[in-house]
Formats: sequence, structure tokens, C-alpha cells
Amino acid sequence: MQPYELTLAEAADAIRTRHLSPVELTESVLERIAQKEPHLRAYVTVAADRARSAARDAARDIAAGHHRGPLHGIPVGLKDLIDVAGSATTASSLVRADHRARTDSTVAARLAQAGAVLLGKTHTHEFAYGLTTPQTHNAWDTDRVAGGSSGGSAVAVAAGMATFALGTDTGGSIRVPSALNGVVGLKPTYGLLPRTGVTSLSWSLDHVGPITRTAEDAALVLTALAGHDPRDAASLSVPATDYRPRSGTDLAGLRIGVPRTYYFDHVDPETEDAVRRAIEQLHDLGARLVEVEIPMTRYIQATQWALMVPEATAYHENTLRTVPDLYQADVRVLLEAGELMTAGDYLRAQRSRTLMRREWARILKEVDLVAAPTVPTTAVRAGQETVTWADGTVETVSDAYVRLSSPANITGAPSLSLPVGHDSAGLPIGMQLLGRPLEESVLLRAGHAYEQTRPASGLAPAA
Amino acid sequence: MPATELTPREAARWATRGGLPLPADRHAAVAATADHIHSVVAVLRELDFDDIPPALAYRAAEEAHDAAV
Repeated sequence: MQPYELTLAEAADAIRTRHLSPVELTESVLERIAQKEPHLRAYVTVAADRARSAARDAARDIAAGHHRGPLHGIPVGLKDLIDVAGSATTASSLVRADHRARTDSTVAARLAQAGAVLLGKTHTHEFAYGLTTPQTHNAWDTDRVAGGSSGGSAVAVAAGMATFALGTDTGGSIRVPSALNGVVGLKPTYGLLPRTGVTSLSWSLDHVGPITRTAEDAALVLTALAGHDPRDAASLSVPATDYRPRSGTDLAGLRIGVPRTYYFDHVDPETEDAVRRAIEQLHDLGARLVEVEIPMTRYIQATQWALMVPEATAYHENTLRTVPDLYQADVRVLLEAGELMTAGDYLRAQRSRTLMRREWARILKEVDLVAAPTVPTTAVRAGQETVTWADGTVETVSDAYVRLSSPANITGAPSLSLPVGHDSAGLPIGMQLLGRPLEESVLLRAGHAYEQTRPASGLAPAA
Repeated sequence: MPATELTPREAARWATRGGLPLPADRHAAVAATADHIHSVVAVLRELDFDDIPPALAYRAAEEAHDAAV
């Protein structure tokens, strides 16, 4: 096994016990990037010299007995919406061609403090406003979409081009590409990870979170990054928590909600089968399955759009007037049309969100988590614009990919996506576990237990 | 055309009123997208909100000290 193939937890243990140096690990990942990046295009920029220098610093510190914790010496990719002092935050957009971040985002500063080695910045759908990330190729089939908007981060982790990565999630943008590339993505509780220095798509829906190869890895990143930041108005004050799941697979007593409605409607049969098998596996581990009714399903898309569209337009108000031609066509027209929405539309969505949060809180008193597909279908071919369901219904690819993930953005509840198999074309299938606010540890425990029942999934057979 | 749909000319007027003058070649595309968004979000009018407040984050007392990284 090569160092680039190690999970974060495995690499961290090898570094802690001096069986692997951060320099060896970083060189291995950089070599993998050199091989695979031309085919996958996950990165906007790779800062190889900077990474080598950080790896040497980490190696020196650890040799001197100053081991900072599990992220020390671990190579990470950051979605290019996340500021790193002295680097451009391009948002994969020509609008940001001359950008230079003056200071670190809070999450980049916390990663640096934890000793992580920054490899570079990964591609996003322009300004995170889309679900495909067209610049980047799926790690399992380069003719397929990466998913988005954190497509570069998910592909990098899936292909061994980063040991872990950070993404952002406004309607599913961590979980969708994670599902489509067979890796783990965690959208934490709204406000748990600070967004200071992270380019916004929609303030009231935006989250930052980890993309990793296992639930345990996601827990390690969450532990290092959670904590209050007074510069983010939504940031929560919570006690420092060790999210690492305990070993063992016993889920006795855990109540898992299985949706009777919504989450299995207009879902590809192979995706449904894989997710239902995974839910049965959780049952075999001791969990009790309880059917649940998903509330207010008729209003999910309307609420998501009426929050996101005007907030995104507001964020881009200046540049939409000064440099509109620098936006990609799909993003520009959404930003322009957002100018035509009314305050009434927006306030109805914020009131609908109040109702939806209450209804979900009621369900999450009856069960400890809800298990469902992350996305209704696996990665579509690049350029495919619609999905046609068995009953003849036609849905845009973007609408399909965001449909099952957006409820957790509206409610702010945590959602963990993990791989649960492949379809007959060999493409990964994702299941999401949705939990109560600030109960990430419940999701990570269930995800970790599930992973213990399966062979390690390994890297994507990239390019 | 349903009465609620915007003509390209109306979309241009609304945008101008919002402070975003649109070049003529944008009017039709923006009108079509705005109409589609409207068709999606209009269902929220069915909800009975009674005295439900909007879910907006707001703290009267701002914290001014630097973030702890």
C-alpha cells in the first residue's frame, strides 16, 4: 500500500508512531496528483513547494516531540472558496482572477494550527452555484460528472490526490459529490464550523465540512475545526468535543427513521436497493427501524430556492453590475433573475423554514436519525441535462441532485453521506444519515459501525 | 401566456427598478428564468403562517473580540 492510499486515521497513526513521515506522505500524494490530475482536473492550483515546506516543518516538529494531533502532517485540499492568506480564492471564476486573500479563513487557520499540510485549492462549480463542477471529471468514470459544487474536493479524496479535503454545502454541495465519487461527506449542524473567510453562496444555508474516506476521518477533522468564531454571526458556542467514534459496531437502542415518503420517490432502483440494504445492515447491528413521514415535502424546493436565489444575488450585487460578462452563462442568469424576486418571496421562505425546522424536530424526537439516499441517481454523463424517471417525469440533473440533500440545509440539521455500494455501471451510491442538531456523534457512530461491516472501499480507479 | 409571467420587456423594467439595467440580449433569458423561479417559489403562498416568524439569525449584542482559532 502506498502512503497516498491511507485513510486520515491510518496516516495519522503511522505518523504518530514514526512509521511514516509527513514528508513521505506528502511526496506520495503530490506524485499521485502529478499522475492523475491531468485526467481529473480536481485542482485549481497545486502549491507543491509550499506543501513540501509545510511537510518538512511538521516532520521536524514531530521529531522534536511536538506532535499536535491527528491532522499533523496530513495533506489536505481546500475548496477554492476558502481563503488562505496570500493565495487567490478564485471560486473557479474569472470574476476572481485577480483575487488575493489577505488573511486565512478561520478553518484554514485552524487547519494550520493543527499542522495539516495544504496541497492546494480544489475546483468548485462557479461560486458554488451548481451541482456538477463541469471543469472536473468523476473519479470513477471521467465521462461522468464530478457532482458539485465541491466536485474538486470529492474527486481529490476519492482518487488519492488528498488525504482529506474541505468543501462547502448550501443545498448538498458536500454530500452530492461525495456520494457520486464514493467518499464520505459531512455537512455539520449550521454554525458548528465557522465560515469566516469562506466565500458565500447563501448565508442562511451555507456550511463548511469535511470530505474524507471514512466516517472516522470526518470525525477527526470535525474535532479539529469545530468551535465558536465571533466573526461568523451564525457560529455556535459549543464545548470542545471529541467526535471520534468508539470502536465496536453495536447499535442496540438506536432508532433509525426510514422515510415512507419523499426520499424514495423518483429514485433509481439500484440506488434504492443499495440504500435499503445498508439500512438493513444497520438493523442487523442492533438498530430499530421506524417508518417516518417526511414533513412539508411540497415546500422543500420552494423554500430552498426562495432562500438561496435572493441571497446569492445579494452577495454578487456589485460584480453583477461591473463585470457580468465574466460569469458563466448558467450562473449569470440565475443571479440576474434573482433581482426580480420580492421580499415577500424571501420572507415566506424564512417562515416556511421555521415550520419545517419544527416538523423535523418532532420527527427527530421519535427517531435518533433518518437514513435515506443522498442523491436519487449515480453520476450522469457530462453534458446530460435531464433525468427521466420511470413514470415519465423529467427533472433537471441539478434539481435531482439537490432534491434529497436540501432539507438538511433548510433545517440546519447535520447530514453524513457515506458510500454504500455501486450500480451496475460500477458507479458509487451514497446514503445519508440525518440527525438532530449538534448530534454529529450519533451519525458518525452509525456510519463508522456500518463501515466496519464492509471491506475497505479503496480508491477510485481514476483515469 | 399566464398573467403572472413576465414579458422580456417587463423583466428588463423590474431589473432596472432593482438597479440592474440589463442589455437587450439578456431580457428574454432573464424573463424565462425569473418565471421558472416564480413558478417554484409561488407554492409557499399556500402555507398558513399565522403568527410564525421568519427564521432569521440576529443578535442584539455583537461580540467584538477576535476569533480564537
